[in-house]
Amino acid sequence: MKALARTRARGPLVMIVVMGFLAISLLHLLLTIATSQSVYELSDLKREKRELDTTSQILSEEVASLSSQQNLLNTASKLGMVSNSNPVFLRLDDQKVLGKPKPALGSSSQSRNLVANSSMINEAPAKQKAAPASTEQPQQLSEVAEVSTVSAIPASPTR
Amino acid sequence: MNHAGPVSARRIRLLITLSVILVAVFAIRLVDFQIVRAESINATSLEKREVTRVIPAVRGDIVDANGKILATTVYRYDINAAPAIVRPVERRIDGVSQVESVESVALELARILEVDAAELLPKLIGTSHYVNLKKRVDAETHRQIVDLDIPWIFSDAHQNRLYPNGAVAGNLTGFVGTDGDALAGIERQFNACLAGVDGKESFEKGVDGIKIPASTLVIQEAKAGRNVVLTIDADLQYQAQQVLASEVTRLNADWATAVVIEVKTGRIVLAAEAPSVDPNEPGKSSPEERGARVFQYAFEPGSTMKAITAATAIETGFATVATQVRAPYALRVFDHTITDSFGHPTENWTLTGVLRFSSNTGTIKIAENIPAKTRHEFMERFGFGKPTAVGFEGETRGVLNDYRDWDGVTNFTTMFGQALSVSPVQMASAYQILANEGVRLNPVLVAGCQDSDGNLTGEPKQNSTQVVSASTANDVMHMLEKVVEQGGIGRTTAVAGYRSAGKTGTAEIKEGTGYGQYYAASFYGMAPVDNPRYAMGVMIYKPKQVWTNSMAAAAGYQKILSQVLLANRVPPSTGKSPNLPTEWK
Repeated sequence: MKALARTRARGPLVMIVVMGFLAISLLHLLLTIATSQSVYELSDLKREKRELDTTSQILSEEVASLSSQQNLLNTASKLGMVSNSNPVFLRLDDQKVLGKPKPALGSSSQSRNLVANSSMINEAPAKQKAAPASTEQPQQLSEVAEVSTVSAIPASPTR
Repeated sequence: MNHAGPVSARRIRLLITLSVILVAVFAIRLVDFQIVRAESINATSLEKREVTRVIPAVRGDIVDANGKILATTVYRYDINAAPAIVRPVERRIDGVSQVESVESVALELARILEVDAAELLPKLIGTSHYVNLKKRVDAETHRQIVDLDIPWIFSDAHQNRLYPNGAVAGNLTGFVGTDGDALAGIERQFNACLAGVDGKESFEKGVDGIKIPASTLVIQEAKAGRNVVLTIDADLQYQAQQVLASEVTRLNADWATAVVIEVKTGRIVLAAEAPSVDPNEPGKSSPEERGARVFQYAFEPGSTMKAITAATAIETGFATVATQVRAPYALRVFDHTITDSFGHPTENWTLTGVLRFSSNTGTIKIAENIPAKTRHEFMERFGFGKPTAVGFEGETRGVLNDYRDWDGVTNFTTMFGQALSVSPVQMASAYQILANEGVRLNPVLVAGCQDSDGNLTGEPKQNSTQVVSASTANDVMHMLEKVVEQGGIGRTTAVAGYRSAGKTGTAEIKEGTGYGQYYAASFYGMAPVDNPRYAMGVMIYKPKQVWTNSMAAAAGYQKILSQVLLANRVPPSTGKSPNLPTEWK
């Protein structure tokens, strides 16, 4: 009778231990599932980061190519711009002109890019080709050029 | 009931015995797995699951003084296929499943990769698991290929060096090989700064290639390389290269160089040459064009050296700006006759006039009493005969023989820049001294090595050395101003509104034991004279389309100087040049 009573008294204790064990096992299982899920999420995020890095690289290369001196010169030339080797300054305090103003005499060699750059395509995009460059009508040229700077942002020559 | 007791006890004993045996067997196996063969089993297991991967460090950039990128690292991709598993590709378009033939896919691939479809298609046939379709395509092309979602197409990423401005400063940046090894220029010289430290990643993966949760992960982070910051202005460098390329064509010359140094700091603003290598494709340039002639080539300077001789004469008390000489057209020296570059009767010139007319005979008359040892010492102090502090790879020291080895004629010809040689940057550096009140500053090309936080290390230490007195340097500069004001050629180098000074140089070029028919024409000077900011020089090598060789460098010099002054917003000069007579009666 005493043994039976001892066994009955241990019953709840055993139940608690078993339930606790099951609870811990379940929790462990849930945590493992959650961790596994996070690893897959992490993997997805890393893949997404790689994609964004690639996009960033593509855009950076495009910007670098567009801002390369060769591209800028080609674009400026198409707008009819030439460099002037006679700088002139206006001094504000006495409004005096410093230097001797001379018109810029652009030659074909000056306005054509002569410095190689194989990281960009030298061939102008179709929109740029459309920009007129008549030297006989300077007024008209400047008007058209102004419009073209707004509407004809040059496409990337990057490769 | 009496039988039940012994039988039950027997069964229990049997059960216990069997259990003990079973446990013993398991225990033995456990000891065998866990202790005896534990190491080899672990190794075999890990071998199947563990992946060790090198994480390549990204190479640092090379940037100019304004942070403009001259060299950077991008990713390029090798596009590969596995012919063994090539089969038609199933696609869902508008919810409808469609099968695209291999030929059709190949055509699409060929269009994107810009290769001939007839060459691409045979590559897709076979039992191999690897065939390369195209190497090093850019990220945009790679993305288009990935978007096609072809199960038998793979790619390998590689780091690739990109020089977004092409040949702009290509002579300085140098280049790297296809394997990423630095082969020339700053790339090689500052490889320790640019190259990072590769990382290492070790992890265990499942069958699907995903890392096993809670598996041991050992990571050694890759350390990215740092940036090299140059002192040059890439925009001005480009302008100068444009001008030089134009001049080389116009004059039918072999090549040309230009150097501009900031007088007050020694920083090299531009070190240009034409033709110059495009580091994106170094193979397209000849071996001579892949280096930096500005630092690596030595030439006989000719008359630009007369400014140094004049400074030596004034500093040592052998002459002043007004020292009078009678300069004949020709002078007999030992067995040789030395003449001026143009015919003239014997002239009464001052030292200023000697420089103004670039008279060889007048220079000899001025400097003939200066001991050779003294002149040699001053040449060394002006920086000739040794590489500059830039220490560019392969930089020449030029040729400045010991004065005791100068024979009778050499003793005189060195006065006007013959029988010795200098690099373009050495001569520009010498003119920096004359423009900076006699104080020599080391030319600087690399400002330092910059980490990701913007901290600069390895900045070169600047040493200032008083080579000649301020009055001597100013005297020479004012005499050189007369070359620009009055000289037939010098005048063409003037920039309206600015006082500038300079000297022509026309040097014969050694060929074998004598001199060839072509010249190295140069012009070196400084501006503005009233507040010198820049010392610079232009050298045209072997111009063939000129009526006078000394004229060759002038036009390029003027164009580059004007751009340098304009780009840096240098205010025009206000004062007038001092009155220095060139003749006497």
